[in-house]
Amino acid sequence: MGKLTGITCSSGSLNQMRMVRSMREVEDAVNQARNGAKEYCTNFFPNASKLEGWVGHGEMFCDEHEGTIFFLRRDSNFWHLFYCAASQPALQQNLASLPLLATDPVVMDVVGKKAELAGLTSLLKRSGFRHYQSLFRMTRLTAAAIPPTKMTPNTEIAIAGQRDCQPIHDLLVRTFDSRAEQIPPLYEIEAAVAAARIRVIRNAEKLAGLLFFETQGVSSLLRYWLVDPGFRAQGVGSALMRCYLAEQPSVRRFLLWVVASNSEAIKKYEHYGFNPDGLVDYVMANDKIRP
Amino acid sequence: MNALAELLKGIRPEFDFTASSNFIADGMLDSFDMVTLVATLDKTYGISIEGVDIVPEHFQNLDTIASLLKKYGVAIA
Repeated sequence: MGKLTGITCSSGSLNQMRMVRSMREVEDAVNQARNGAKEYCTNFFPNASKLEGWVGHGEMFCDEHEGTIFFLRRDSNFWHLFYCAASQPALQQNLASLPLLATDPVVMDVVGKKAELAGLTSLLKRSGFRHYQSLFRMTRLTAAAIPPTKMTPNTEIAIAGQRDCQPIHDLLVRTFDSRAEQIPPLYEIEAAVAAARIRVIRNAEKLAGLLFFETQGVSSLLRYWLVDPGFRAQGVGSALMRCYLAEQPSVRRFLLWVVASNSEAIKKYEHYGFNPDGLVDYVMANDKIRP
Repeated sequence: MNALAELLKGIRPEFDFTASSNFIADGMLDSFDMVTLVATLDKTYGISIEGVDIVPEHFQNLDTIASLLKKYGVAIA
């Protein structure tokens, strides 16, 4: 067995996969898959800065087949699988010759409108994947008013600093399912902190809550909004959300992804004017991922 | 160009696509919107945009989308 940091992978799989060492390699591989493809399909929609981080930290691998390029991103103890395929039949054929699926825990996200994903999820089930989790996207347009709050926390909202990075990472890991909710590695949190994209509330120097966002022009993605269980029902979450919405006057569209079964979170998002916009994310897992 | 702007408005009604020269940098279109837009263009104009053309550079603004359509024999006034 070959050993990578944090994950074990069969030597056969490693022989077939190669580490991606530059953004150019990613670009070339994607172009190769797209070339001449009449029914091109992909689940690879990387944010450029995130992708640079994955490549720069040696987390990205590539496995090339006729008609399909697979990218594999190494996470803590499993792999994220991305594909760029000339067609769905090409994808199915090449999934069958991906040795990693027989040896290692792998998840893949498929994103789109619910009605359009039925064929793809059936294909993945025939290739040994099962449905692991569903998320859906919610959107808030700026016409929605910020609802009033009845509670005021006795602590101030701050822009997260370097000392907050590890506590933020720890809280995210403790709270979310990394297979479905894509916990950012510590270096990504550090970059977000450096870019002033995380707000926190501290209580006696302990991290009480955080809000992590990415704004691009007139759109803003709310990545994480979280209150430590010890500080709930004290207005911490409300203060963070109201601050975030008020701080983005030029944003016209706020977006977030939420686990479909998390009715408590969905109710809160609806309270702040978010509504489902029809996009779903089915997280599929192979049999090496335990339910 | 009005027809294209209207078509984009159908995907993202909250934005004015005539006021931007870079929809992606301005946050008006993301990767998922691009996929929807390609499907809409295919259906509206009876074409099949190839994978090699589904790159952000072709969806930056009304002019670049019109140039892409021209490649597939669609003229946008």
